[in-house]
Amino acid sequence: KNSCWQVILKEGTVEPKQIGWRKNKPDKIILPYLSPIRQLLCNLFPISHSQITRLYSRFTSLDKGENGTLSCGAVRSILNYFKFSLPARSVIREDFQRIPELAINPLGDRIINAFFPEGEDQVNFRGFMRTLAHFRPIEDNEKSKDQNGPEPLNSRSNKLHFAFRLYDLDKDDKISRDELLQVLRMMVGVNISDEQLGSIADRTIQEADQDGDSAISFAEFVKVLEKVDVEQKMSIRFLH
Amino acid sequence: MLLNLQNILPSIVPESCLLILVGLLLGGIIFGAQEKSPPVMNSDVFFLYLLPPIVLDAGYFMPTRLFFENFGTIFWYAVVGTLWNAIGIGISLFGICQISAFGLTDITLLQNLLFGSLISAVDPVAVLAVFENIHVNEQLYILVFGESLLNDAITVVLYNLFKSFCQMRTIKIVDIFAGIANFFIVGIGGVLIGILLGFVAAFTTRFTHKIRVIEPLFVFLYSYLSYITAEMFHLSGIMAITACAMTMNKYVEENVSQKSYTTIKYFMKMLSSVSETLIFIFMGVSTVGKNHEWNWAFVSFTLLFCLIWRALGVFVLTQIINVFRTIPLTFKDQFIIAYGGLRGAICFSLVFLLPPAVFPRKKLFITAVIVVIFFTVFIQGITIRPLVEFLDVKRSNKKQPAVSEEIYNRFFDHVKTGIEDVCGHWGHNFWRDKFKKFDNKYLRRLLIRENQPKSSIVSLYKKLEIKHAIEMAESGMISKVPSSASLSENHEGKIKPLSPTEMENMREILTKNLYQIRHRTMSYNRHSLAADANEKQAKEILIRRRHSLRESLRKTNSLSRERPAAANTKRFLSLPKNTKLPEKLRVRNKTSSRVGDSSDSEMDAATTVLNLRPRAGKILRDQREKQQRPLPEFRMEWKNEVDGKQDGGEAHQEPSGQPQPSVGFRQPLLTRPRFGTLTGEDLPTDHRSTRPMPPPRLVRQASQGERQRNKPENQPY
Repeated sequence: KNSCWQVILKEGTVEPKQIGWRKNKPDKIILPYLSPIRQLLCNLFPISHSQITRLYSRFTSLDKGENGTLSCGAVRSILNYFKFSLPARSVIREDFQRIPELAINPLGDRIINAFFPEGEDQVNFRGFMRTLAHFRPIEDNEKSKDQNGPEPLNSRSNKLHFAFRLYDLDKDDKISRDELLQVLRMMVGVNISDEQLGSIADRTIQEADQDGDSAISFAEFVKVLEKVDVEQKMSIRFLH
Repeated sequence: MLLNLQNILPSIVPESCLLILVGLLLGGIIFGAQEKSPPVMNSDVFFLYLLPPIVLDAGYFMPTRLFFENFGTIFWYAVVGTLWNAIGIGISLFGICQISAFGLTDITLLQNLLFGSLISAVDPVAVLAVFENIHVNEQLYILVFGESLLNDAITVVLYNLFKSFCQMRTIKIVDIFAGIANFFIVGIGGVLIGILLGFVAAFTTRFTHKIRVIEPLFVFLYSYLSYITAEMFHLSGIMAITACAMTMNKYVEENVSQKSYTTIKYFMKMLSSVSETLIFIFMGVSTVGKNHEWNWAFVSFTLLFCLIWRALGVFVLTQIINVFRTIPLTFKDQFIIAYGGLRGAICFSLVFLLPPAVFPRKKLFITAVIVVIFFTVFIQGITIRPLVEFLDVKRSNKKQPAVSEEIYNRFFDHVKTGIEDVCGHWGHNFWRDKFKKFDNKYLRRLLIRENQPKSSIVSLYKKLEIKHAIEMAESGMISKVPSSASLSENHEGKIKPLSPTEMENMREILTKNLYQIRHRTMSYNRHSLAADANEKQAKEILIRRRHSLRESLRKTNSLSRERPAAANTKRFLSLPKNTKLPEKLRVRNKTSSRVGDSSDSEMDAATTVLNLRPRAGKILRDQREKQQRPLPEFRMEWKNEVDGKQDGGEAHQEPSGQPQPSVGFRQPLLTRPRFGTLTGEDLPTDHRSTRPMPPPRLVRQASQGERQRNKPENQPY
């Protein structure tokens, strides 16, 4: 009961059997609805229980390719022939790139990168969920409770941090003019010349920069966005 | 000032209102000139000629994926909601009629029920006309719109049921059950006819590549045929034509040429615009005349009950259905659904169809219906927008927004859309997958022609790929390209403060040029097709990705030219796209591909392989021969590759004479485009494996994105 979830949370990988994956119907997950577990999960990852089911099946579909009944057996037998074991369920970048909508999203590459922890090329379900947890809507009853515990992943500050990391490629906690230009260039059509873009970037930095270092630190980033409804903009309703 | 009015008016007043006013004016003129009632809109004309184009247009452009994801809710609202409304209004009106002070005692219960059933029909025409003005989220839109389409079945059944009951002497219980059964027959029968004819249409278009000019004709003919056939059997014509349009859309779109497709779209829009205009004008014309009987009580109570029962119904039903939904409907959603239940021309025509022999007070009904329609279209139509905005109270900032704010806002929107796409938004669905499997296995083979025509983005993509490959191969990557690094020159000097005009300029530039967020579903618009703008944007993004990938490749290549280990990475080309690479291989791959934003390891492999094989043309030709290679042979090659790797990569530098292993999978040697495969322009291709996943399909219809994704995985395993 408790153990299957603790396995997911602790070890980050999961065997289908452990979460009640039925043998004959690999596409369905049956998860027991147990409120203590839900509590536990909500404390650790602010995501509701029913969504985990959904996201897990989505994760596995990314993993195997779209069609859930692609014969894993065939792949497995090839690999077994060469004595390679099937690695624990995880996704690599190519799996994300298979999502066509991401290909025409201007920030598609950055978003994909955000899923992968530092320097790694694959992400397991736990990491997947961890990234998605940033996008859970903030509920009112969560705001007041537990002030002294660790901040939930979907707090405003963590959401902003997530966005900041999308800009800040070299992870020096500053958005330099160059990084800003790169993102701008990705978001903008071909009709804007480099000079115009440069001046827009300059202006953006100027509006945010307070300590005069021609770069935007995280604190400055937060300040600039204090009037923007980040909670609403970075929440996906279905992760409720 | 007149010009000013022209700008403001359409946004305040929905077009339907204006059209009705025009109709009223027209009717008044005719009445005044001839002193008799103007020609009333003939119900036949309405049902046979005016209504089908509108429903066809709606069904064709309906975002199917969204529709089916919400199908349960839509069905619930349509069936149970309409029943609730009909019976509620009927019974309460009957209660009112019993009060003798109003002089309505001769209206029986059955007549009231019949009246209730026809007035509870939410009308797709009116809903569409009004919802264009208010931009609601797509889920809400699909709920109201889907409901208005589906409730036609209920309305038809109830209407016929009560009409025949009115004419019968006695009513037995078995008749009531027959009525219920009739509902299922009518609804399901209509849908089946629609689907059947949709398949026939798709099948027909499979063979039309020699007669492209009349392809659009088939679309219209078959859909109209489905409507007529359904009506002939007393089934629901609206459901038939909707089902037909939805079915056709999936397959026909791939069979017809680009130009035919454009023609179909535009012609459909044209027809539906014309029909809608005519309907509303007719309604206005028919209002003026002598067919009225005014009774304060009846009319006002009808209006009151319509509103009350609708609100109650939506509220109660939502409470129930929220338990089953993943995304519960908020209060604001409920309000919009309730308030957006507009009545329109369908009720109008149905009331004219009432046989006057059975309904001595027919004129009273007509008056009441007209009042309700006018009220919903005018008052509700005009006020819905301000009310929506009022409910949407935002913490608005009156300060002049900074230039950067737009950037940030758009940034967040893109991120959110991207993450939604990763989540698959509403997740996995067992039935949808099953259907997709079935679809791919049987239907698409049957209905879609091989040798597909290419759309503009697809051809562009292919051209880029080939150009890229040839360039790589022949030039040896010597030429330089101004990379994004050039933008990062050190910016010396202070940033000078900008004047307000310059800020305005910047803001303007940004507004015009920032990319739009991809709409998951095209927001339905009667009067325009927004696809073209999105296509252009998608093209630009694609091209830019190519450039950045090319640059990262150049960097990689210059780094790894000396590394023999890099030669090993070419093995990955031969793997099926979704093989789980064992850890070892991946780790090795990682080290050679850690350059740049994108980490498409296959691209690296492509580079290194190209180093070995400078003649891209020959490669493509080889590949052409390999198209027919059966699978087992491919497996063998793959195995050899890996074995060879064990001995050390160098031996595999030039698998001369050996066909490129990757080809067995019908993938190009050159690159592993993430959308699928790339072949030369004139290669005969098997549509399944080489089908690129064109973004424009996405733009046209989001649901195809999933199917496209499916393609490369459908390898003959």
